[in-house]
Amino acid sequence: MAYVITEACIGTKNTACVGACPVDCIYDADDHFLINPAECIDCSMCMPECPVEAIYPGDEVPENMQHYVSRAAEFDYSKTAPGVEVN
Amino acid sequence: MVEIKQRSLEEVKALSAEEAVEIMRQAGIVGAGGGGFPTYFKYKSPQPHLIVNATESEPGYWGDKLLHKEHREEFLQLFEAMKTIFEFEQISLGVHERDREWFADYVEHADDGIFDVRYVPNTYALGEEKTLVKHATDTRVPRFVDTPEGMRRPGMPPDVGKVVNNTETLLNIYNALFLGKPLTSKFFTLYGPETEIKVYETPIGASVSEVLKIAGLNVQNSGHLSVLDGGPYLHDVSIEEFGEGDAYVRRMTNALFLIPRGRQGKEYADIETECPEEGIVSLVGEISGVNLPLGGGLLKPATPLVSEGDEVEYGQKLGEPVDEGFSVGVWASMEGEISSIENDIVAISGGAIPQEEAEAEATMAGGASPRGEAEPFQEADSSR
Repeated sequence: MAYVITEACIGTKNTACVGACPVDCIYDADDHFLINPAECIDCSMCMPECPVEAIYPGDEVPENMQHYVSRAAEFDYSKTAPGVEVN
Repeated sequence: MVEIKQRSLEEVKALSAEEAVEIMRQAGIVGAGGGGFPTYFKYKSPQPHLIVNATESEPGYWGDKLLHKEHREEFLQLFEAMKTIFEFEQISLGVHERDREWFADYVEHADDGIFDVRYVPNTYALGEEKTLVKHATDTRVPRFVDTPEGMRRPGMPPDVGKVVNNTETLLNIYNALFLGKPLTSKFFTLYGPETEIKVYETPIGASVSEVLKIAGLNVQNSGHLSVLDGGPYLHDVSIEEFGEGDAYVRRMTNALFLIPRGRQGKEYADIETECPEEGIVSLVGEISGVNLPLGGGLLKPATPLVSEGDEVEYGQKLGEPVDEGFSVGVWASMEGEISSIENDIVAISGGAIPQEEAEAEATMAGGASPRGEAEPFQEADSSR
């Protein structure tokens, strides 16, 4: 089950997770980053990298942040490239 | 100090936990799965449950599966001994669902109270310990942990009573405890979209170029390839351009993955390989020179016990671990003369091919540097 980026990413967008992801499945969704659940391989490498502890295993996302699970599932990833825009 | 020597099962079981830990430290055992974490440290505070990671997760790897097939008896003896020495309540072998048939032999032996087999989803998980714990048990490693010192750090398996060790690391523990054999060799898969698969055991510190040459690869047929130390997902660039420069087999090398230059490893993530029919091929004793790091990564350099010009035997101790920080013993992975000790790397030359011939061949092959001059560790791939 994929990992999920939650609220603490908003206003932080530290990008450490993007560098840690071996499969480039973390996308910039403007106000925060999103992990594409179709591409995430459940490796957990991003989770300890996040300085604001925004990343949870999919089945451990707190109740009040469940909408981040659905946002990640419903986001249209075809319109954006993974990673961080340079310049 | 406890001696590294051949021991029977009963003698190994009679070792204290402290003695076994010291043998692991002296024998130079570090996490062979890629982490390179000093193994002895994991057993300093033993946990109730040992999980053996038998899930090779990079696409195309065969090394660990072959080790389990070829050394099942050794693993079974080791599990029995470890259970006694470290008082494990349970030892579990974590196996991918897709490998059920491969590990069927183990399941037959699993009901004698020594260990069990736990199947985990095939989902690729990069050997990450936390993910293995999650799938192999009903326990979760916490995301973060507050330490008594007021620090907050990522959770680790010992936080929930688990020790996770890679397959090859455990075989190295067997070798040290039962055979009195310190760590001198590495198992890895050599493969790629255009390259016939091999699984080799080579001396640690062997020249990657020389291994490739033995595998039948040369600049004429493979000069357009890059060599990655690792698999499609996680790797360092070992040799950017085959024929230019050299690199060395590390204690953490699990594969040499050859891909066309300029391409990304992960473009080949769907690679499928067959287990090589000949099994593991040993190149121990057939390599003309090695570069052995005394430290590196988390490890403080061991104190060299030899000097330039010394003749050393295979399996002779070259470095004594230091007491500060993490440090492990270093042992000669081939016999020969110490040609240099520089930058905490001990170079040994001698063996199968005369040095001049090897150098001439290297030059003909497109200018690979003679051993001892090349940079042993290349910069990590900046793409990860």
